[in-house]
Formats: sequence, C-alpha cells, structure tokens
Amino acid sequence: MSLQILINALVNAALIAPPAMAFSLLFGILRFPNFAIGGYITVGAFAAYTLNVPLGLPLPLATAGAMAFTGLVVWLAHVLVFKPMEGQSAVTLLVVSIAVTLILESVIRLFYSADVRGFDIPLQRPYRIGEMRITKEQIEIIVLAVAMGTGLHLLLRYTRIGRAMRAVADNPMLASIRGVDAARVTTFTTVLCGAIFGLTGVFAGLDLVIEPLVGWNLTIPIFAAAILGGIGSPYGAILGAIVLGLAEELTILVLPSTYKIGVGFVIIAVLLLVRPQGLFGTVEIKK
Amino acid sequence: MSAYLISMTTYAGFFMILALALNLQWGLTGMVNFGIAGFYALGAYASGLLSAKAGWPLGLSIPAAVAVGLVAGGLVALLSMRLREDFLAIVTLGVGEMIRLVVLNEDQITEGPRGLRIDAQPFRDLVGQENYAIFYLCFVALFVAVTYAICERIRTGPMGRTLRAIREDDVVAGVLGKDVFRHRVQIFAIGGGFMGLAGALYAHYTQNISPEVFMPMVAMFIWMSVIVGGAGNNRGLLIGAGTVIMFLEGTRFIGDVIPSLDAEKMSALRIIIIGLLLIVTIRLRPRGLLPEPKFTYEPRKDAGKPARSPT
Amino acid sequence: MTLTLTRRGVLAAGTATLFTPAILRAQDGDIAVGSLTPNTGGGGPFGPNITAAHKRVAEAANAMGGILGRQIRLYQENSETNPETAVRAAEKLISVNGVNAILGTWSSSVTLGVMPKCQTAGVIQMCTSSSSDIPVADEKGLVFNFQPLSPIWGRAIGNLVKARGIENFALMALNNDFTRSMMDAFVETVGAAAIINEPFYYNPQQSSYRSEVTQLIADNPQAVFVPSYVTDFTAVYKELFRQGYEGLVITTSLATGPEFKEAIGDAADGIVHGFPVPAINSPAYKEYLVEAGLEDTGSVQHPFGTAGRDQMTALLLAMEKSGATDGPTVAKAVWEVTTGEGKTVVYNLADGLKALRAGEDINYNGASGSIEFDEEGMVLGRDFQLSEIKGGEDVVIERLEF
Repeated sequence: MSLQILINALVNAALIAPPAMAFSLLFGILRFPNFAIGGYITVGAFAAYTLNVPLGLPLPLATAGAMAFTGLVVWLAHVLVFKPMEGQSAVTLLVVSIAVTLILESVIRLFYSADVRGFDIPLQRPYRIGEMRITKEQIEIIVLAVAMGTGLHLLLRYTRIGRAMRAVADNPMLASIRGVDAARVTTFTTVLCGAIFGLTGVFAGLDLVIEPLVGWNLTIPIFAAAILGGIGSPYGAILGAIVLGLAEELTILVLPSTYKIGVGFVIIAVLLLVRPQGLFGTVEIKK
Repeated sequence: MSAYLISMTTYAGFFMILALALNLQWGLTGMVNFGIAGFYALGAYASGLLSAKAGWPLGLSIPAAVAVGLVAGGLVALLSMRLREDFLAIVTLGVGEMIRLVVLNEDQITEGPRGLRIDAQPFRDLVGQENYAIFYLCFVALFVAVTYAICERIRTGPMGRTLRAIREDDVVAGVLGKDVFRHRVQIFAIGGGFMGLAGALYAHYTQNISPEVFMPMVAMFIWMSVIVGGAGNNRGLLIGAGTVIMFLEGTRFIGDVIPSLDAEKMSALRIIIIGLLLIVTIRLRPRGLLPEPKFTYEPRKDAGKPARSPT
Repeated sequence: MTLTLTRRGVLAAGTATLFTPAILRAQDGDIAVGSLTPNTGGGGPFGPNITAAHKRVAEAANAMGGILGRQIRLYQENSETNPETAVRAAEKLISVNGVNAILGTWSSSVTLGVMPKCQTAGVIQMCTSSSSDIPVADEKGLVFNFQPLSPIWGRAIGNLVKARGIENFALMALNNDFTRSMMDAFVETVGAAAIINEPFYYNPQQSSYRSEVTQLIADNPQAVFVPSYVTDFTAVYKELFRQGYEGLVITTSLATGPEFKEAIGDAADGIVHGFPVPAINSPAYKEYLVEAGLEDTGSVQHPFGTAGRDQMTALLLAMEKSGATDGPTVAKAVWEVTTGEGKTVVYNLADGLKALRAGEDINYNGASGSIEFDEEGMVLGRDFQLSEIKGGEDVVIERLEF
C-alpha cells in the first residue's frame, strides 16, 4: 500500500511535469498565467483520437500528428488573440485565456459531443513487483516525461534558440538590445509548448478519458506544480510535479478524498505565502 | 415575456452588485479576486442556512451574510496581500473552490449536493404572489443603487485617490505615507461584503441553492462584465454586467428560430459567442466600453507586468 | 441612480424584444411544451437522447393533427446539468414561451432548483431524478418522477449481488446525492458486516483516481461497488484494471453504456451492473427502438431516452384526456392515463389518442416501464436488471420484475 503510493505519485508527476515545464516556458515569454492550456490539452487529446480511431493510424503516429496540430493551434491562438493584446495587464490576459479554453472546449463539443472516448489500444494488466503494481503504459509515460525533461534541459542549455529563450525570459529588453529576435523566439516557444500540450493530451487520454473537460481538469495541478517549482523555472516544475503528486496521494490518508481537488490550491496558497518565489525559484525584485 | 424580462433584469442586478464589488477590488485598487463564486456562495449559504435552519428573520440573516462576506474578504486579504497579482488570482480561485468543496462535503450542515431549500422571501406576505417578481426586482435595484452609491463615493472621495495611487504603484503610495496594507484589507473586505449581499439576494430569489450553482464560471462572467464594461468605471460595468447577461440569455433565442440547432450544439455555440464577445471587445476597445476617465497624468502602460521592467 | 437603472431596464427590455420577434412565441393555437435536458455537463451523455425522444413524440402528435386540435410547439433548452443555468432557462420557458410543462430534467439539483418557479407558475415537471426531497418539495402535486428513487436502486443491486454469494465488499461512490443514497441503501441491504472498508466518496473531474483505487482495493475485497456516472467510472475502471484488481466490479448501468464499452474494449468483460430497466420485452420498448433507429441488441439502450418518450406521451395523453392544457388540471389527468387497472392498455401516443377519442379509459405502458405513479407522482416499480459484460455485450444475469 505505502509503496504503491510512491508509484501512483510518480505516474501523476510524469503526467503533470511536461505540461508544467511548458507552462513555465510560456510564462517566461508571455508573462501571464495561461489558462488556455486546458483547452490546448483537450485539443491534443481529440486530435490524437481523430487520427487514431476514425482514421485508423497507429497511436505513435497519431501522437505525432496531435503534437503538430496542437502546436499550430497554440501558435494561432497567440497570433490571433494574445499578441494583439500585448499592452493589456496580466490579469486581463488571464481572463482572455480562460475564454480561449471555453471556446476551444465548446468547438470540440460542437463536433464531437460530450461522450467519453478512448484510444484504440487495449487496457493492460500491471507488472507486479512485490506490493507494487505498474503497467507498461505507465512506464512509457514516465520514460517519455524524463526524456522530455532532459531534451528541454539540453535545448535550453546548449542550443542557440534555447539560450535566446532564456535570455528573453530573463530580461526581454536586454535580450532585444543584444540582438535576440524576440518574435522568432516567441513563435518557437509557442509551437514547442503546443507540441508538449498535445502530448499531454494523449497521455491524459490514455490515463483518464477523452472528453471535452479533460484538459481543464489538469489545469490546476499543472499550475500548482509550476508555481511550486518556481514559475518560469522549467526544472523546478519537475520537482514541483513530484511534490504535488505525493501530496495528493498522501491527502487521502488524512482527509476525506472529496477534498483532494483542493490540495493543489492549498499547496499553492501555503507555498506562495511562505516562499513567494517557489521552492526552487530565485527571488524576483518587485518593480 | 415581461415576466421573463423582470427576472432577467433581477439576475442582471445580482451580476451588477458582484461586478461593482470586483471593480472596487480590482478596477480601483488593483487587487485580483477570482474567488467571487466563493464569496457569493458564502453569502447565499449564510443567509439561507440562518433563515431556513436557525429560523432567523431575514432582517438579521441578510445582514449576517454581508458580515460573513466582510470577514472572509478581510481574512483572505490579510493572508495574501504579499502576493503578486497573477498569483493572487490563483490563490483566490483556490479560496472560491475550497468554499464550494466545504459546502459540498459538510452535508450535515449545508445539505451538500442535495441542495438547500429556502422558503423565506423578504416581505413575501406583505406583497403577495401577484406582484412579487416586480417587487423583488425593485428590492434588488435598491441594493444595486446603494452599492453603486457607496462605490462611487469611495471612488470620487479622497480614499479613491489613495486607492488609485496604490493600484498604480503601491511602493510610491507607501512612500507617500499612505497605509497601503490597511486600505487594501479594507477594500477587499468591503468587496467581500457586497458579494455576500449578492449571494443572499440570490438565495432568497431562487429559493433553492446547491454547490453546483457556485462554479468558477460565475467568477468568469463577472470578470467579463468588468473588463467589457471598463475597469475602474462603475457606470461602465453596470453596462458590462447587462451586456453579459444579454448575451448569455439572448443567445437562447437563436435555438427557437433555428430548430435544427439542438440544445447541445446551441449551448456550445452560446459559450463560443460569449468568449468571442470578450476577445472582440478587448481588441476593439482595449479599455472597455466605457473606459475609466483619464487623469491628468498618463498611467503607466505596463502596470501589472512587473517583471518586464529591468530589475 | 435609480433613474439610471430604470433607463437601463427600459434599454434592456427594448433589446430583448429585438431578440424575440413575435414568431418565437407560441402562436395562439399552439400548445407550448418545454424540454429542459442535460445536454452538457454531468448528464451530457444522456441528455441528447431525452431531447430527441421528446421531439419525436411531439412530431408524431403534430402529424396526427395535434392534441385537442392544436399543434404542439416544443421549446428545448439545455440545463448544462447546472441548476444556475437551468433556473434561467426555466424562466425563459415559462415566461417567454408560455409552457405549462417542463420535461426531461435529470439531476436532482436541477429538478429541485427549478421547482420553486414551476410550483409558483403551476407548471408540470416530469423528471428522471432520484432525490427523496423531490416528493417533499412538490407541494402542489405537479411533479412526476419517471425514475425510482436511488435507495430503491441500492437495495435492488444489493439483493441481486447478495444472491451471488459474495461475502465482502469495498465501497466508494461519486460524490452526489444520487450515488450517496444508493450506497447507503446498498450497505443496509448487504449488511454492514460485509463491508470491509470505510465507504468514501470522490469528486468528478479529478486529475487522477489512482489513490482512491489503491485505497479501495487495499484489503483485497471480493467485490467492489462503485455507483458512478460514465465519465468518472471510465477513468476509475481503467485504474482498477491497471492496479491489477481481479475481483468483481459492480456499478450502475448508467456508467457502462456503449461509449464506455467502446472506450474500454475487451477489458470491460466481467463488470456487473444494475439498473431499473426499460421493460425490454414490452411492445413500447420495441417501438422505441424503431423510432430511435436502433437495433434490438437485447441489452438496455437509451435508459433515459425511453423515459423521455414516456414523459411526452403521458403529458400529451393527459392533455387530450382532460381537454385542458393548464398544469394543475393536466397533472390530475396524468394519473388517469397512466395508472390504474381495468383500462385499455396502450403502448404509444397514436393508440392512446385513438382509444381516448373512442371514449375508453386508458393506461399507458411505456418504453421505460409500466409507468404507474403513486399519489406523490413517483413512479412505482420498474423492472430491475443485473447484467454482466461479456465479449463487449451485456448479458442479463437476473431480473427483478414488478
């Protein structure tokens, strides 16, 4: 039982960490908490479903397609909605991003209705190691999440575009003085994050169910992980996801499980009050 | 038809009180609150429970709802004043959701998911069945007027100047000798009180409340009202709240004209249209339909984006 | 200030009138009927079937020349399974469209939420809800519930599984009124001694159900009972399967419809689910399948769509019978056309109308059950069926017939 909790927390973390990193990256560039991620993840899940079930592509191909499509959607949302609103306050953009999620969900509902769906692959029984149980699919999700974390690390650390992304996130003005093409960096970041949200959509579809609210349900845990890790810090997001995963699993031992969806919020609130820069973030000087 | 207009205008009244309260907190003072649904629920359940279960008269239970909102607003403000506005957004959203979860789970007290039935209505016996709807509209309108008057008074008075100074730059306001902390807590509490009032009025109007009524979506509609109407401008957001209700309800009638749109597609379209309304308004009128009147100085353009300025 | 408001009120009135040209209101000759179904939200998987059934019956009535010589005009609204939206939709149906009946509410909170308005306006409500508060709140005898209250479900499922000789159970349920009272009745029936965990609830829309499932199967129970809806049960069942649970999974048939089987595939085999069923062998159910364009698979389809058909049929027959359209008069006639022995049994609107017009007393037997109401307007016994999923199909294990 107790060891199973570790596995559960690890799988939760693997599901939450990549989008939390993507959320952090997006925040670094765009500077507002983007609630549209819920809509993006749902788009990813339904894109993969469409390619996998009605069109009959194997799931890995469908996943690639979904990542590309979600990247496109995120980029379009940026160009059509968020970029023209650049002068607005972060809070206005936040409200707009909720509207974007609502619009995306409703468009999906318009075409797919609210029925539950699943991918065209059989459910798997777990491997058992003593008391612990884990499925092949869950191992794949964990491996992919680790790969994605490593990939992002390498990208940010060793590539030109990665360094440019960090420069813009640290200080956009300085970056532009030093000749970083902010527009290109933004385009790259939105498409990259879009692809990650698309992948999360596929994971969420595998783990939970494909339905219009699937992305919205993940939004608060993703926020909690990103804030826990120090917003704008992609590595912190991974640790944040693990801490959150554990906290959610442990809650049920002490509190009625109906309070579980509040755990993310409580963690955010307590942490922000005690350590506003997050567990792993650096102090930001206000104004 | 007129009965319907009366009831929708009554709903617009609840939205207006909520929007006025949010404007006090955000539009005027720059404090974000996404927990509107929670404060609304507190007011509704406070008055509902006190009248339905403890047998309090409405003359006491409605003021009690205001008091509960005030105290809750003050507490949230005390706890979270240090936060950056985007973080405060998430924390207050969390407060709203936690309130809903408590109402949902503590069903020995709140009836939980069953929903709470409230028989009491203000001046019910005095007014009688016939004219009650129109009476309630006037009753709500009276409270809208009072709320509006208080909000205007705060906005145009010396306190309003201080609040705007805090909104634009709390550090400077502090340096100038303003007690930033006290002002913020006060305003957040007053806003919470108004939201509690709106909740109580709603509860005694529908006479049946359940946790599902107070989903975060309500907060979203109020934010839209304020942004569409024009943050900082009390008159603008009355129009904003009216506009949001009009779109929310007006889109219903499309289904009656085009029967081929079934109810499911219709409600999806309705949400799409409302979302687009917000986006289009901000694109065409970045400061809302009725913008806040400008002051003699140019407000900082990048207010609310602290990290963008060089550190 | 008050002046500003009045001006705004007038403005709003003007605009709203623009939104509602006269053609929207029921023409004088038409009978307006409201349909308020959960087309999105928690009831999303069920609402559209109810809507469609209402529409088909109304169209059939119109094709036969209408009721009392008047056409039926159906106004449809989506409750979004949310009482806040539903109350406003109900206001519109009552005040703008002038309906005398609102059919199809599904979740108890919606049914109860719109009830104060309906009672005041004398509007009939026909619902498929389960809260035992419904008959209490219905002071004017205007509410008809087409679904047994949920304690009846819990007892029936409990009795049926007890007969299978299972000795211990672990329980968890979706956190709502319907599933909570079902769970309580289930515990009462199988006996508290047979329950080996502390029964608990979970919320819908969670980001994972892993820890709940781990807790549920911690003591390796022979069977788990999880009353739930389809969206959350799909995620919960996936997790049960992935955590290697080999015992018996029991739930309500609401959660295991065709979408569930489609989404889960072969892994769904072995689930046992129970439900008050349409009288599968009744002519009305067979007619329903034809009307809805479904094939007779022998398993339960459209559990709520069938109730939708029965709601509209009962309402229209009652109007014809009473010769009136106002709520209180029609409500009394609903009992007359559905309940009682020694009357001509009819299975659809057309036959019912013919019999009524020939001066006979009728008893409508519906697609969802025989449709007999007690004096509180709650449906009396419906068949209850326990099925097991085998090879992606429901196989009936047992039926309780009433």
